[in-house]
Amino acid sequence: MEIPYIVSPRKDTGLFNSKIAIWLFLASEVMLFGGFFSAYIFLRLGADYPWPERTLPVLPGLINTFVLIASSVTVVFAWAALKMRQWRQFQIYMSITVFCALLFMVLKGVEYNVKLHHQAVRLDDYSIIEGHLGYEMEDGELVLDHNGKKIEENMIRLEVVAGDKITFSSVRFHADWVEELIAEAAYSGAKLSLAANITGDENKADQGKVHFKKGTPLSVDLLKKIKAVHLEARAHNAELRTRALRQEWVVAKKENPGKKDWELSEGVSIDVNALNPLLLTELGTAAFAIDGTAELLFKPRNVKEGQESSRLRDDTVIQGKLMESPMVFHNVDAIDFQHLVMVEEKKGISPEKAIENSWLMKNNEFVREAWAWHLQRVEQLKKKLIDRHGYKKDSDGNLTDVPKREPTHKELYRIGWKDLAEKGEEQFKIELSAAEKGKENFMGPNYKARGEDTFPELSIPREEIRFAAKFAPAWNTYYAIYFTMTGLHGLHVIGGALVLAYYLFFGRKMYLENPEWLANRVEIGGLFWHFVDLVWIFVFPILYLM
Amino acid sequence: MADSIEAIQKSKKTYLMVFGALLVGTVLTVLVADPPEFLYWLDVGKHGFDKYDAIVGLMIATTKASLVALIFMHLNHEKKAIYWIFVNSLILCAIMFALLFLAKYSPIFDRFFYHQ
Repeated sequence: MEIPYIVSPRKDTGLFNSKIAIWLFLASEVMLFGGFFSAYIFLRLGADYPWPERTLPVLPGLINTFVLIASSVTVVFAWAALKMRQWRQFQIYMSITVFCALLFMVLKGVEYNVKLHHQAVRLDDYSIIEGHLGYEMEDGELVLDHNGKKIEENMIRLEVVAGDKITFSSVRFHADWVEELIAEAAYSGAKLSLAANITGDENKADQGKVHFKKGTPLSVDLLKKIKAVHLEARAHNAELRTRALRQEWVVAKKENPGKKDWELSEGVSIDVNALNPLLLTELGTAAFAIDGTAELLFKPRNVKEGQESSRLRDDTVIQGKLMESPMVFHNVDAIDFQHLVMVEEKKGISPEKAIENSWLMKNNEFVREAWAWHLQRVEQLKKKLIDRHGYKKDSDGNLTDVPKREPTHKELYRIGWKDLAEKGEEQFKIELSAAEKGKENFMGPNYKARGEDTFPELSIPREEIRFAAKFAPAWNTYYAIYFTMTGLHGLHVIGGALVLAYYLFFGRKMYLENPEWLANRVEIGGLFWHFVDLVWIFVFPILYLM
Repeated sequence: MADSIEAIQKSKKTYLMVFGALLVGTVLTVLVADPPEFLYWLDVGKHGFDKYDAIVGLMIATTKASLVALIFMHLNHEKKAIYWIFVNSLILCAIMFALLFLAKYSPIFDRFFYHQ
């Protein structure tokens, strides 16, 4: 069967059909991305924290813009070549287009990778530290955990001693974590077993029945059995209760003919005491005791820690002492007081005082030193702005002592990695080649070359931490919308590149049979590709430059 | 639709010019947003990001986008049906942006919840 209107235009629209189709699709895409841009404005206007302006590296974004624009040009050239029946030219231009798409995705990947390995922490007083976490070392060697893996210095440590109990929720327990716990305890030479017999409650149908014996070793299988007994009891009990309640309603209706349900409902209830001896015991939790001392490590996101007992995300309660579990940065590359200043100014406290009283300034020599250095630089910047732009005039045209231009909030209260790098260069006479500096614009600071003096170690006690995350969507709404928009755009790049690559590698047969059809296909693919470029034209300035 | 070979040859020149314009526009956006030392007078408005930067940046972006849409996507000489589709999507997009106002000025919630 021949597909109609793939080469010749339809009379009523004057177009071949696929063109109408792609434009309908692009129209829906315009609205999709429009929705995200409007979400961006919404998040930015409503942000309750200093919006991270110009926080992304501009150079990779700029190069990516060039790459996409270039590919847009080559794709129309490829189409023009097909129109003129120049297969070789088409191949060349289309290859460049596909290559540009690949290059774009590689650069994007590098950018994402740097973000997802960069740690940030917001302290209790809203000051922010950025950098990289290290791994636990002892005598210059890495400490390994029970799996033989390096231990990131951002773990919650709990010490459990003989007799301490770990209580699992029989429906919510996470099997992988249970196995992890068993292995971790075994690594310290300790075993977990049922702390007491699990028996039927008094005054229940299964009164006195021993469901599980004390001392049974902990295993996922055992927990699954407990869960099965629990769920069975629950189903059994629910059925009895429902039946009893139904019976009550039947009686109530019979006794009060003509009355509405809502008039009766308050008086209808089941006699729990009468029902109790028929019910089975529900085993909501199961407590296991440990027979030795063990140190358990948990990722901060998986545990709500407490001094005496902590709770995992799967509702496992661990009785045990919270040990010192600081978050240790090995390369601090930014100190940010913007949020702190914002919060304290609302309380009427001046920025200088707020920063002076922050935990970091009180407890860390490096931060004090960096801040003093930063203040000098701010003074220089203020002077420079006054020299260039002068002072404001009042309504009578007289000069006031208010400068026309002042440093931004970010310049005043944030010490970024470039500032720290400059400070390091000045103080420790560190010199990097231009090539290395160029690389830093893509990959972030070169910690090895610049050394621990420039980007030092900093340890933050657990109780000072308000929130910690990688520079991932979790960190703040800016990164959430950044990953959403660029991620969705990246998917479009991949999709478009696949289609164009298909024309490039599998188009020869169609070119020989019906070249105009292939030209039309390339035009359609090209239209989508231009749209992808068009979206990036807005994404780049909005996310990278504003 | 540029269909004759001569017309396509001719439009190739236009494409190259648009390419140049897009590159210049991109560089300009970056320069305006974050002017280097010797171009400090490009920093309009306040020092750092402000509404002027946003307006200038978005104006350049819109110009670039229009060039792409008009020349590369051939919207400068298209059939009616396509304008219909495209313009309608833009209108719906504008409505979605207009909904943002509800975030600040909500005629429903303000009156009933705050007794104003």
